[in-house]
Amino acid sequence: MSIMNNMIDELRMKIVETLNLEDVEPEDIGDTDRLLGGDLGVDSIDLLELVMMIEKDYGVRIDNEELATRVFANLETLATYIHEHSAGGSVE
Amino acid sequence: MSEVRICIAGIGMVSPLACGVPGTVTALKAENVGIAPIRLFQVEQGGALPVGQVRTHLVDPGVPRTHNLALIAAREALAGSQKAPDAIVIGGTTGGMFETEEFFRAGCLAPERFTNHSPGSVADYLAAAFHCPGPVVTVSTACSSGAVAIQIAVEMLRAGKAKRVLAGGADGLCRLTYYGFRSLQLMDPAGARPLDRNRNGMTLGEGAGMLLLEARGPGTAGETGDPCEVLGAGLSCDAYHPAAPDPQGAGALTVMRAALEDAGLDPSGVDYVSLHGTGTRENDLSEARALNALFGHDMPPLSSVKGAMGHTLAASGAIEAGIAVMSIQEGLMPGTTGCTRPDPRLGVDPLIRPLQGKVESVLSNAFGFGGNNASVVIGRRKALHSTKLAFESTPHLTVVGSACISGAGGLAGTIEGISQRGHCTGILPEKDLAACLSPRAIRRFKRLSRMALSLSVSAHGDAGTTDAPSSVFFSTGWGGLSETYGFLTRLRTSEEAFSSPTAFVGSVHNAPAGHIAVHFRATGPNVTVTGGDYSFEQCLLTAGLLLKESGAPALVVGADEYHEELSRRFDGSAAVSGTPSDGGGALCVTRGRGRSGPKIAALFLENGKNNDSVIGSLITTLGGVKRINAAYGAVLAGIPAACADLGREQLTAFLSDAAFQGLVIPYRRLTGEFASASALAAVLGVAFVKDGVVPDGFSGPKGFGLQGKGILMLGFGTFVTGVEII
Repeated sequence: MSIMNNMIDELRMKIVETLNLEDVEPEDIGDTDRLLGGDLGVDSIDLLELVMMIEKDYGVRIDNEELATRVFANLETLATYIHEHSAGGSVE
Repeated sequence: MSEVRICIAGIGMVSPLACGVPGTVTALKAENVGIAPIRLFQVEQGGALPVGQVRTHLVDPGVPRTHNLALIAAREALAGSQKAPDAIVIGGTTGGMFETEEFFRAGCLAPERFTNHSPGSVADYLAAAFHCPGPVVTVSTACSSGAVAIQIAVEMLRAGKAKRVLAGGADGLCRLTYYGFRSLQLMDPAGARPLDRNRNGMTLGEGAGMLLLEARGPGTAGETGDPCEVLGAGLSCDAYHPAAPDPQGAGALTVMRAALEDAGLDPSGVDYVSLHGTGTRENDLSEARALNALFGHDMPPLSSVKGAMGHTLAASGAIEAGIAVMSIQEGLMPGTTGCTRPDPRLGVDPLIRPLQGKVESVLSNAFGFGGNNASVVIGRRKALHSTKLAFESTPHLTVVGSACISGAGGLAGTIEGISQRGHCTGILPEKDLAACLSPRAIRRFKRLSRMALSLSVSAHGDAGTTDAPSSVFFSTGWGGLSETYGFLTRLRTSEEAFSSPTAFVGSVHNAPAGHIAVHFRATGPNVTVTGGDYSFEQCLLTAGLLLKESGAPALVVGADEYHEELSRRFDGSAAVSGTPSDGGGALCVTRGRGRSGPKIAALFLENGKNNDSVIGSLITTLGGVKRINAAYGAVLAGIPAACADLGREQLTAFLSDAAFQGLVIPYRRLTGEFASASALAAVLGVAFVKDGVVPDGFSGPKGFGLQGKGILMLGFGTFVTGVEII
């Protein structure tokens, strides 16, 4: 479980940095807060920017909008997907 | 006042389908497809996506691919024409970007490599090639650029500013657009399938389309019998999102209605609709909704050629206007290549195969990033069509608010800097640039967009009006350099594995104007113009032509950012300047309707290189020696450092020939060297006219009273421009 928690913490920071959310502290984003279309104001371009970041930093490709919308529902769904699909990764 | 018809006297085009009009007709009839995996450059990662690449042999190895495509199409449009066009209006988004990318990859970074980098250099190249002495305007409204160029040309002809205008668009393939659209997941790996139920994106293409437009009187048939005409055109802005269309199609509906109204046509008078029809899920849905709202159950035949040739970006609106002429002349309505099973959710029934039939009028759509929409109506004149009156209206706009940014801050800081230190050069720190904007709203913006929105908000605030601006006219010499550099750098350092969709969307020249529109919900015309050191003058000229007397204010904005890696390579004047500088200016203007304030107008814009009589022509246009001395107390002279010798020679000739007695301020010494310095100068000129005085420090220690006279802002160098503020 701590692997997942660490990843969620890491993703919090990466999202704030990637989207240049100057007025958001990483810890303000809850594990199950809506990412897309929620209070963060994340839109379709942001989503694609995050897709690019996930591929670059974790080697996990998310190459269609439907999948991206599902995966980026919240931090938990994102971390789970990355964990399941990164090289050698599997949910314990 | 006299009636004027805008006749299409020549057409030229080159696309992935064919080179030339006859070949294009044959290819469309035969349902050929010009799409194949990209070969222009090696795709390092992810497999080569299909694109529309032009297979024609390029003619001038000394200039970029885009310039070659433009030249090929322009030669065809002007074939058989003995006289040079009076003016050139070209749409472009990437100019010499492919060659710039190659130079960067090869580490060839000397500034002389990049003289043809800018989109504006394409129109300048055509002006030189065809000896056009007159105005040149480059439009950069992303994928609608070619159609917007046609509209500007039409208004130039209606206003009597020219008799013959070469108008069109050109864009060559490059990595920026290939990887940019790929990063947005907008490219269909199977090739574009416009309006198909399984459509999954566009296909990137390249090409050029050109029209020779001539103003003729109502009774004159001309040399070609009964020619096709541009019956009308319209512009609108979605003001919705930087890269996605308004899903309800409101902007698309507005623009089609505007074009039909301008043409004096009812929807029932449209025989065929040439769709924007890119093949992306969002565009086709938005366009279809607008079509249903406009035509209801009386939908004319419609189709998209983008499955056959790809989306040729800035060229598409012009190529498709040319195809509209073929539709009328040949009775040919092209099929929607790539579409096999139309999407029932769209509620439209596109032509799958080409259809032969009588076509008298075509509505041609072109929509772009930033929600910049244009529609053009091409047709043969029927008895019922009203002809437009050539209007002799004034090009003057009333300035009701203004704002500027320089190295010394806003207007007060700028004037103080010049008065106390003799200059306002430098680069304003980021934190001071956009203090009036919320961090969340501008989190994706880099320097140019921050400047442009900040200027717009300040100028509108200065106007003290609650009326939101409806139209936006934006100019930039070099566009979003931070975004362009960021995109290309990440692409290169990741061996083309990664890019940034945010940087791509921000890199288009019209991105700042899109942000301004979203901020103000400005759904009227939204036009971005780029032409190096003369961008702002081209923009002011365009605003003077396009802004209607609606009472709603408009914004005319010019800005450029200094970029450490790119500015000195692209901008020859920045390269020889000791102090990096940037900034710009914004004017909130109205036309007519009683508001008081200084009046501004771009009265003159002609080629300074191939036009021996340019200074004489400037003096005549301004009303002659007597009027110049009576009307203007001071001249603000813009001489870009890169053409200092030519510029000084022109200024000296003007001062001597006009026997000018007033004050002369070569303002780039004060502002620093950047393309939009003239936008900053215009704002200073407005302040001087309002106050009736040029403050201390601008020309000497003491202020200079204007004695009720105005300011003449002149630009010199490769172009000579004249803007009056009275």
